[in-house]
Amino acid sequence: MYRRLLASLLRWTLRLDVGINRVYPADFNPLYYTGGLSNLFLTILILSGLFLFFYYVPSYNEAYTTVQYISERVPYGQIIRGIHRYSADGFMIVILLHFFRNWFTERFRFSRDEPWISGMMLLVFAGFIGVTGYVLVWDQRAELLVVMTGNALAAIPAVGGWLRNLLFGGPGLTNLLLPRMLFLHVGPAVLLYVLLWWHYVRLRHPKVWPPAVWTLFSLGVVLLLSGLIPAASQPQASPTTPPRQLAVDWLFLLPYVSLKYLTPLWLIVLATVIIVYGLYIPYQLPETRAEMGLRESGIAQVIDANCTGCELSYYDCPYNAIVMAPSPHPGVTKAAQARKLLAIVLESRCVECGICIGACPFEALELPHFLEQDVQAKVLTACRS
Amino acid sequence: MPELGPPPKSQSQSAPAPGNPARAAGPGAAARRPKIVGFLCDWAVSAEGIVREDGTMRDLPNVTLIKVPCSGFIRPSWLEFALKNGADGTFVCGCPLGDCFNRLGNNLIQDRVAQMRRRLERQKIQPDRVGTIYYGLREQEQFVAAVREFSDRVAQLPAPPPPPPARRPAGVSPATPADGSPSGPTPAPEEP
Repeated sequence: MYRRLLASLLRWTLRLDVGINRVYPADFNPLYYTGGLSNLFLTILILSGLFLFFYYVPSYNEAYTTVQYISERVPYGQIIRGIHRYSADGFMIVILLHFFRNWFTERFRFSRDEPWISGMMLLVFAGFIGVTGYVLVWDQRAELLVVMTGNALAAIPAVGGWLRNLLFGGPGLTNLLLPRMLFLHVGPAVLLYVLLWWHYVRLRHPKVWPPAVWTLFSLGVVLLLSGLIPAASQPQASPTTPPRQLAVDWLFLLPYVSLKYLTPLWLIVLATVIIVYGLYIPYQLPETRAEMGLRESGIAQVIDANCTGCELSYYDCPYNAIVMAPSPHPGVTKAAQARKLLAIVLESRCVECGICIGACPFEALELPHFLEQDVQAKVLTACRS
Repeated sequence: MPELGPPPKSQSQSAPAPGNPARAAGPGAAARRPKIVGFLCDWAVSAEGIVREDGTMRDLPNVTLIKVPCSGFIRPSWLEFALKNGADGTFVCGCPLGDCFNRLGNNLIQDRVAQMRRRLERQKIQPDRVGTIYYGLREQEQFVAAVREFSDRVAQLPAPPPPPPARRPAGVSPATPADGSPSGPTPAPEEP
């Protein structure tokens, strides 16, 4: 059932790719660069956020006025605020695209569960940072968000009230609230880079930046939007006139919209289930190659006698499964006599793709169940028939 | 495949004689179909329905597909090995560029084939006998069309000068040429 659903989703994803490839050369297909695009938006967010940080005062009375000051008095303040606002939306859109694309094309297979899990955490933290960003503006929507979050947290049995006090610095709206929110906006943004390191650490040559065309296009769209639709606050928050209506941002505030239909406790249970399921996705399908109908080539083996320590396979292995170690003894062939390094395959990271075999010009690597001789025998039978 | 026995031998000699007019004639072209060996990535075009049991393609019986775990797995020397053992053309099929399942395998093989074509030029073999094709899982029709076009292009090429030693490994057992023959994989260091 799940497998059939995934197969049809894969078919639609590929159909979309084919359609886009008809318009652009395949190298410029934006869907191949969703990861790079999210990195681009994150960079825009950090730079514009730094600018806003210089002016923002996280206090109960001044937060709203400083945001207004940025919009109205600071040169280009309105534009920078708009850029921060709309690139946040862009960031969320492209990381969701990245998430769904890699899910449907099963790019979580084999040793790629680490990028997947760090990616799930990046997604959760990105949503969290977005919500705290909405609170920092300290308009009526912000106040409503704080109240709703407080109620939702308080609904957790036993630890709920304690959690709420931990997050907001006490019951109700205190003066500690906004400094905390500012930290929870900026701190996790730094954490995103830590998680990104984890996201990339098992990948060789990750595509961290989109092609120049798409960089300029995204910058242009964000600039245009911030000029045409200026980012604006709602009326100032005041305890005397509590807001009734939530102005919805569908990308970040979806959980708060669902509070209309769910009790807070159910929302928290649902969110937990979704996140845990997301972390479980890479382990859901049968992992063995036989069950997937794939060949079992076996984990790549280094032929000690031939390895010259040239590092070519080390550079080309897509998952950093090959490391170079100081060679304990010289190799046997002439080219391998003077080697300083020896390639070593880390079994847990090898996906049996054989890219190292193509990379090695000295025949020092092989897939044990799909040897060079096997390929040559197949070529010979093909040529003879 | 009764018609597949003679052609590989006769075609290389008969190719220059009838030349291009025979090719354009159409029906007569079957007599001199070029022998083509293709390497097909497991994750790229699905082989279901387009390949017979013996690995030849249903629509193009002169093309044999060899499935490999990733297009980056292929050593360019294997393409050369195929050419020297009687194939008229070889190609590699990978996922669309930028969408390799193993991230960069097709970009790597693209670079390697580009280098190999320069090498072939020095050896007086037409580099057009080697090709790269990139199609995704469901693009079978486009893939077959691309292979047909490649096969037609190879058929148009003038036959290479018949090298006598190249015939020898075809008679020997498959294991021997891997070690002994000069036509085997030549270690040619490539840039990373």
